[in-house]
Amino acid sequence: MSDEIKSTFPATDAEPTATSSAEPLWNVLIIVLIVITLGLLFFGGVYFDRHGGWFNPKVYPPYTTLENLEAFQPKSGAEAAAAQGKKVYEAVCGICHGVDGMGKPGQAPPLAGSEWVLAKSVNRLAHIPLAGLAGAVTVEGKEWNMNMAAMGAGLSDADLSAVLTYMRTAWGNKAGEVTADDIKKIRNSLGGHPQPMSGDQLKSMPE
Amino acid sequence: MKTGFSVFLAAFVALGASWFGLVYAPLQQLGRAQQTVILHSTDVWPPQRTGDVTLGLQVYRASGCVACHTMQVRQTGMANEITLTDLKDHPATDFKEFLKSLMIAPPLDACSNGILANLDHWDGKVPVTLYSGDDGSVVAALADKLKPAGVKTVTGVLTSGPDLARGWGLRQSVAADYLYDQPVQLGNLRAGPDLSLIGIRAPDLNWHLQHLYAPRSLVKGSTMPAFRFLFELRKQVDGKSSPDALVLPPEFAPAAGLEVVPTAEARHLAAYLVSLQASAPLYEAPFTPVTAAK
Repeated sequence: MSDEIKSTFPATDAEPTATSSAEPLWNVLIIVLIVITLGLLFFGGVYFDRHGGWFNPKVYPPYTTLENLEAFQPKSGAEAAAAQGKKVYEAVCGICHGVDGMGKPGQAPPLAGSEWVLAKSVNRLAHIPLAGLAGAVTVEGKEWNMNMAAMGAGLSDADLSAVLTYMRTAWGNKAGEVTADDIKKIRNSLGGHPQPMSGDQLKSMPE
Repeated sequence: MKTGFSVFLAAFVALGASWFGLVYAPLQQLGRAQQTVILHSTDVWPPQRTGDVTLGLQVYRASGCVACHTMQVRQTGMANEITLTDLKDHPATDFKEFLKSLMIAPPLDACSNGILANLDHWDGKVPVTLYSGDDGSVVAALADKLKPAGVKTVTGVLTSGPDLARGWGLRQSVAADYLYDQPVQLGNLRAGPDLSLIGIRAPDLNWHLQHLYAPRSLVKGSTMPAFRFLFELRKQVDGKSSPDALVLPPEFAPAAGLEVVPTAEARHLAAYLVSLQASAPLYEAPFTPVTAAK
């Protein structure tokens, strides 16, 4: 029995050194590798969370996350109003007046360069989408005789003012902006069910 | 074979993992892509292709254009920017004081130091960039607050990167650009320029036809091979060229009495090249077109 103990335990007088450590070297290596791997996994996870966009098909570098991409979408301010104006114009007005504002023969007169659009104040212009227009009008020296429904009556004040601002500033037009308050005043003055205006009726109003 | 099941399992896992990563996951991510709405507009992107454009892609593929041309624009940076363009007779010092007074409320308070530091050595000249950075709310807040003061500002999302600086694109390429490409001709070598925006950089169909027949007649020192097999050398009828014949400079023109007429393939390829106009701002690739910013 005592012989067995002697053979399995190192001699007590031998001081433990680095080479005769109880922990074999490869054991230590494996632990170090595991720690490194876990560290890399953690780093990778954090990196993916911050830059990967969580596999969202809309997120491309250099945008890192959906929130980051969202921060670059126009939300408010003049840019957003202009964007909204263009959008509403193309959906509502552009079908007849053309997305380039040049009008369409037999359908609608041009808006680009039109004296109705470029007037100093927006009073006459805003009456047209709010009340509609029937009968003959002269636009840029040409006579147009047709009907326009009150296409703007269903739009909000903000949308209609954005559209009119877009008309007055796009395609080389250079006229002032239209505010939602302007539209509100004119809409209130028209009342609930306005009849379509005639060109002469509009001409009799202040600009 | 004792280990048969293990071998099967290992092979199954290996193939299954690559199928999952290369087939299933991309399909889930982009496989059901459809036309998307262009930013600030009701138009959709990409536009439907006409028949000759669809055929042109196959000519592009068969002619090996992809060996020397890429169709992917990389973008390395972007910024929400607001630029002061008109002071309206206000003295610069007054404007600075006014700007300082705006910086109390969020979100402007967080970046007030940066904005004011930009103007430290400003001598009142416009245009001057007030803010350029990630935060869109700062730009919106500044624009809203400066508008009642009567000064004019221009806001926008600016994209940047070496490809964009060369004029090869207005924004990075995104998956939507390739919706109708079958197969997608991304390319990985740029012996020639990137073609994502070639339809806007060179919008003339006849330019492309002449360029395909004799590249060096239009671009001096071009290394592009001439694709003469896409053209037919014909005898002139009654000594006159047909309306479709190329009008070539004398050193590239065929012998007297002959004319160069593009084949259907050449027309399809030219139509395809003109259709490459990756210029629409999208949700995933927002930018402010320069015309709108002016």
